[in-house]
Order: sequence, then C-alpha cells, then structure tokens
Amino acid sequence: MQLQLKNLCKQYGTKCAVNHVNASLSPGVYGLLGANGAGKTTLMRMICGVLKPSSGSIRLNGKSIEELGERYYSHLGYMPQDFGFYPDFTAREFMLYMAAVKGLDTKTAKQRTEHLLHMVNLQDVANKKVKSYSGGMKQRLGIAQAELNHPSILILDEPTAGLDPKERVRFRNLISDFAKEKIVILSTHIVSDVSYIADYILMMKSGQFLLGEPMETVTDHIKGKVWEILIDNREVPKYSRNFSVVNLHHENNMVRLRIVSDTAPAADAVTVEPSLEDLFLYHFGEDAQSERSDDYVD
Amino acid sequence: MLIKYEFLKILRKKSTIIVMAVSLLLTAFLFGLPILQYQTYNQDGVIKGSEGIAYTKSQYQDISVPITDEYVEKTITEYQKLFENPDNVGYDGSEKFLIGDAYWNFVAPREKQLSIIASAYDSPGENSGFNKLPELDLANGANFYQARDEKVESLLNTPSRDLSTEQKEYWSNMSSKVETPLQYGYHEGWEIIMSSFELLMFALLAVCIVIAPVFSGEYQAGTDAVILSGKYGKTKLVTAKIISSILFGVLAFTLHVIVAFGLPLAAFGADGWNLPLQVAGLTIPYPFTFLQATLINLGVIYLVLLAMIGLTLLLSAKMKSPYLVLVVLVPVLFIPLFLTPSGATGAYNLTLFLLPYRSVMPEIGKYISYQIGGLVLDALSMRAILYAVLTAIMLPLAKLGFKKHQVA
Repeated sequence: MQLQLKNLCKQYGTKCAVNHVNASLSPGVYGLLGANGAGKTTLMRMICGVLKPSSGSIRLNGKSIEELGERYYSHLGYMPQDFGFYPDFTAREFMLYMAAVKGLDTKTAKQRTEHLLHMVNLQDVANKKVKSYSGGMKQRLGIAQAELNHPSILILDEPTAGLDPKERVRFRNLISDFAKEKIVILSTHIVSDVSYIADYILMMKSGQFLLGEPMETVTDHIKGKVWEILIDNREVPKYSRNFSVVNLHHENNMVRLRIVSDTAPAADAVTVEPSLEDLFLYHFGEDAQSERSDDYVD
Repeated sequence: MLIKYEFLKILRKKSTIIVMAVSLLLTAFLFGLPILQYQTYNQDGVIKGSEGIAYTKSQYQDISVPITDEYVEKTITEYQKLFENPDNVGYDGSEKFLIGDAYWNFVAPREKQLSIIASAYDSPGENSGFNKLPELDLANGANFYQARDEKVESLLNTPSRDLSTEQKEYWSNMSSKVETPLQYGYHEGWEIIMSSFELLMFALLAVCIVIAPVFSGEYQAGTDAVILSGKYGKTKLVTAKIISSILFGVLAFTLHVIVAFGLPLAAFGADGWNLPLQVAGLTIPYPFTFLQATLINLGVIYLVLLAMIGLTLLLSAKMKSPYLVLVVLVPVLFIPLFLTPSGATGAYNLTLFLLPYRSVMPEIGKYISYQIGGLVLDALSMRAILYAVLTAIMLPLAKLGFKKHQVA
C-alpha cells in the first residue's frame, strides 16, 4: 500500500499553508513534526479528504482519493485535533454511531466497539455520557473511534495535546498497538511523543517538508552541532541570548547547558550525541523555544 | 441505523426538549384562548365557557337546515313582519334594528345565519348587516342563490381586482361547483381552526430552531472532520441527517397540530365537519366542506414546513453556527407578519400571499390567483407547487453544501 502526496498545495488568500508537498508513504509510523502554524493540520485534513487541496493530488496505490471516494474513506481512521463529541451520547453510543458512519454492519460494530472500549480502558464508563469525561478519556475515545474500521491509514493530529505525562505514555502505547501494518501519521509538536514510536520523521516548516528520514538516521544531520558546556550561573543569560539552549541543568553553583549550534559556543564546549529534540530546536529555533513555555517537552 | 442515531442526536438535546415544550405550551395557549374567552348572551346576561358553548349549540337545533330559497324567503318574511311592529324596533340614530323579544326570540338564535343570508344582497365590499332585509322585495321570491352568483360575478368584475378573463372564468367555474342548497348547522370549532392557522407559525419556527444545528452544529462542535472522513460521511450520513430532520419536523409539527386542533374540537365539538365553507362566508368560491378545506390547507402547511426544513438545512450546511441560521430564518418567517396586503392582485400582494406566514393562512375568500400563460392557479395550488418545488431544490442543495464543506 502506498499513499502518495504529489505537489500538494493549500492556499488561503496569499498565504500558502501547504506548499508543494511531495511524499510517498508506505506502512510505518510517521512522526510529523513542526511548530504551530507549520501546516501539519492542513496537510492532515487534505489527506483525510475533508479539505480540498488548491492544487496537487493525493493518491492511494496510484488512484486519486476523489476517484476512490467511499473506498478511500473506508481505509481511513482520523482523530482530528480538539475534535468535539456529542455530549448527550454515551461513549458506547458514540462508538456505535461512528461505526455506522464508517459503514460497519451492526454485529461488527458492536464487537469492535466493545473490543476497543476495553482496549482504551473505557469499558467501565461506556454508558456514561461523554460530557462527564476528562480530557484524557475523551482522547482515548477519540483514538478508539479512529480504529473502529481497522483503517490501513491512521491519521492522528496532536493526539497527546493536553494530556498529563501518565496519560501520554498510555496513549503512546495504544498508538503502538494500533500501528501494525498501517500508515500512521502522527502529528505533534511534542517531540518525545514521536521519538518513542515513530519509524520515520517528517519535519514541516512554513508548509513544506524540511526533511523526511528514518528515525535512526534523522539526527545525523546535526552530528557535531550539539554541545554541552559547564558555566557559571551568571553567564546563563549571555548564552541564552546568543545560542539555542536545549537544556539547562544546575550542578552545585554551576550550570550545565545543552546548546545546538553550528559552531562551538565556547572553547571548552564538548559535542554530544544529538537527540530528536535537538534537531527540532535546530530547525525551529525561536518558534520551538516559545512553544516550550506552553508545552512540556521531556 | 444512521437515521436512528441522527434522530437520537436531535431528540437528546436539552434545547430540543425546551424548545418543544415552550412551543407546545404556546400553541395550546393560543388555540385554547378562544375557548377561555368564549362567551354568548341570552336575556339573562352573559354565559361563558363550556356553558356558553352548550347554549350556542342548542340554539342551532332549529336552524340546522338546508338554506333553500323557500327557507330564505320565509326567514326574511318573518324578519320583515317583526319589523313592521314599531314596538320591536329600536333606533340608535343611524340605523334601525329589532329589540326586545323580537330580537331574543328571532334574531339572537340565528344571528350568524341571518348575516349569511343578508350578505347575499349586499354589493361587493358592502356590509350592511340586516339593514337591507326589511326593505327587500320578495315579490319574485328570495332568489338567494341567484343573488349569490351575481355577487360573485360583481366581485370578479371589480376593476380594482384586475382579474384576467381566464382568472374570472376559473373562479366562476369553481364557484358554480358549490353544491346548493347549502346545508346550515353548528360549525364553531371549525371556524376557529380556519381562522387560526397562522398561529401554527410558532410550531414551524420551533421545528426550524431544533434542526438548525443539524449541519452547522457539527461545524461548531468540531465533529465535522471526523464524520466527513468516515466512509459514509459525505453520502449516506447526509441523507440520514436530512431524513431524520424531516421525520422529526413532521412528527413534532403533527404533535402541535393535534394540540392546536384537538383543543377547539374537544371544546366546541367536531360538528360541522361536513358543512360547506359557504355557511361561514357566502362568496367563498371553494366547493369544500370545513374538513376538506382544513385538510387541504394543512397539506399546504406541511409543504411549507418541508420547504422551511429544506431552507434551514441549506443554511445549516452553509453557515458556521446554528445562531447564524436563525438570524436568517426568523426574518424570513416573521417579517411578512408586519406586511399587510393592499388587495389580492399586483406583484406585491401576490408575492406576499406566497411568503411562509401568509401561506399558512387559507385566505379562501379572497380570490387570490396566479396566471402563468393560459394556466390559472388559485393560492392553495400555487403555494403547494411553489413549496414542493422549493423543497425539491433546497434539500439536494443542503446535501451538496455539507458534502462540499471544507474543514478549515
């Protein structure tokens, strides 16, 4: 199975949200990384057929998704970012409703609903109205509905946003369970979420793919560009102003800084093994720094 | 299955229950008002409520007869005789009328019937009450139906009506189909229904309010992306949404109709269902009984309802929130309430009579007709065709609107 994005563009007035994106995706987990406004959600909406591209095409096994119609959607599972629920439905009713939308017969719908509610650990509260659910429970219900039709393409847009660390770990495990033999596109700006489960990294900036690499080699680009340095506490502002500081760790009266920079920040700085987070910061710099104040990056 | 869930989505909302409850109470109040306010008089004074209704019914026993020329002649002669006795006649400075026992024993029990009889001898636009009856020349008989026919002809030829030859022919032809002699009888409940149809507008609005979020509610809640990416999200689901909206609309509206018609019929009785409309208005051209006219107008109202559901769904598919839908819908439904027709012809009046508010009113005595080439259609037929066409246009457009919706 191959999902091809050919010269995909989405223009809003003069702004190009997605700009000539090309990719050929085969089964595997794709971590789609990018700062807010990079075009991740727009791209995912186009892949899900709920937003029409301004130009370009999306093809599944060589056939355009418009041509495939219902046949394409039957392959698809989508968990949009912040998508709403029907507050007066119970989780079970919501799942059965979504199963009907996805074209499952009644018997299969019931079986899949019970199985998935069990998998996401909501079986005990399945008859409670969704409006009484916490954010984490709603997210779990969200991924359960996406998985109802055994999709071969699973699109998850910021599935861990707003979850506490425990819920995020649980969620990552769920995604790993569901990901087998599927094309999974997982969008996030929380780097650690993808570093555990992604096979490939797609990095997006200003509507374009900055890079697309297997997870194992993706950080090779910045080998020799990640530094650690032990400095006096008073020097921290100076380094923060001049370099992208990934991490800051107090050790007695000194501070150990992790810096991403093309050149050595100081004579005594030593290079260290780069991480995905370093890569993210290397490419997104200021954008990523500002997001780090809103989201937790571990 | 999808229809079941879409129907549940509508029913489960608290707002649905609140809107329906308020609307049903309002309908019950408005249609119950004529019952609460009903009063009649006898020599001892006013009789209210159910006692008044029972008294009125009893008054009809002797006058529930076919209105033949002979009966009209006999009634007018009797009236004239009573008028000959000065003790029976009162004068208020402008007109003379029967008073005392002559009034209570002869006029009071048949006041409505006498009005119908007297109206045959009035010119179009004239309402002289019983004033002409004392002087009416009965030497050649009452010629009641001839007078009616002549009045209808005069009505049709009134220059201000500006009717074409085809339109005049259409109405004359229809009016000639009215079966004579007219059977007279008690019909209070039906008269109240016929004059209160416009009060069903609130029920219509309530249905529109409830279904306004069918599509736009998905956009507002952010559920559009997930359902539109489902296998049937752009196909069967849209159909299910439309069917469940129509189903809800028709059922909810029918519930209102049951309350609206049930109250007057329960209080005043269903008597008179088989009487001709002309016993309530002599020049009404439609050859229908009260029941037939009620059902026909109700049929038109259901078509208006379907078109309004279509319009609501179309707006709902195109707009981001249910509130915006209502911002457009409420004026469409209620601005015509403040527009008064200046006649029954001319583009303004003819358009006004086709707007939703006017379309729920039967207006069966106004000779409103539409001519397309050689084809003449009365208001009821025109409304039925117009709203059926609008429904047929708007529902597919609503479907297309949701199908083409972009999640942005």
